[in-house]
Amino acid sequence: MEDAPETPDAELVARTQAGDPEAFDVLVVRYSPRLYGLVYHMTSNHEDTNDLLQDVFAKAFRSIKGFQGKSSFYTWMHSIAVNMSINFLKKRGRRHTMSLDDVDAGVQNDPEFIEATTGTDPRHAANLTELQQRLNEAMQKLSHEHKAVVTMFDIQGMPHAEIAKILRVSEGTVRSRLFYAHRQLQNHLEEFIKP
Amino acid sequence: MPKETDTSKLLRLKRYEQPPSSYFDDFLFEFRRRQRAEMHQRSTREILWDRMMSLAPSFRVPQFAYAAIVALAVTASVFIVTQKPTGGNALASAHSEILQPALSLTSKPVTISDTLPAAARVGGSLSSHYVLQPRPVSNEQPLSF
Repeated sequence: MEDAPETPDAELVARTQAGDPEAFDVLVVRYSPRLYGLVYHMTSNHEDTNDLLQDVFAKAFRSIKGFQGKSSFYTWMHSIAVNMSINFLKKRGRRHTMSLDDVDAGVQNDPEFIEATTGTDPRHAANLTELQQRLNEAMQKLSHEHKAVVTMFDIQGMPHAEIAKILRVSEGTVRSRLFYAHRQLQNHLEEFIKP
Repeated sequence: MPKETDTSKLLRLKRYEQPPSSYFDDFLFEFRRRQRAEMHQRSTREILWDRMMSLAPSFRVPQFAYAAIVALAVTASVFIVTQKPTGGNALASAHSEILQPALSLTSKPVTISDTLPAAARVGGSLSSHYVLQPRPVSNEQPLSF
């Protein structure tokens, strides 16, 4: 399926609403990588992410006739993904499964990663796998709502205003959740961060 | 305490945790397959409901019409429930009389003395004119000629 970046989301949505399923396929291709990241970083499990993301798009397809365009399709899709992920995590409860085997090995050559993990202190020459593991463990200790904010802001680089729209909270709430989440994460990752 | 920016840098490393690019081609294929399976599994009732819902907006029924219908239904239900039946006692007593047996097998047999006037039974002064033996009527032999 060829993505058509020149075709606006609104037009694809209108075509889907008119009964053209191929238009929705373009939207699936366009949004699945980004939404995969969002769901994966909240669940920390690839299998769960795969099933959940299928459900997210299925729900969006069923509900698209009710989409009135008051928000962007981007915001609407992210809202569905975040809400379904949080509901999934509540049902899953304490069963934490991490799939670190799939971590891209290229991360070890990333300049940002090297810069973040090297220093004069021998503690910084840490085992990279351990760092990844600690990173995921730290994320799992956050509440679902804090995890969503950290995922969208720190990992996906979304602005505060966009996150506020997706979560239907104020920007102030987003900022305070981020502040609290960062403090929690710092306690778990302190030994890997340069002083 | 480490700086907040360092935490953000570490968190950004997670963006590299992505599946291979071929995954997303398979993802779309899987999505289409599930959509088809879902369509086949849908019952006739669901399909009919969806068609009705798709027609509903064309009727242009105002929102308050639904509220009015609900209010009318509630009022009618309350009226029916609180309604008391008139002449119900008379009807009930007549009904019980119909069901009451004329004679019970366990009841005391009726005697000739029972047919006497109350004054005669109490005083006994007039009994010689009427009663020879106080035998139950039910025990009398049938007349034979």
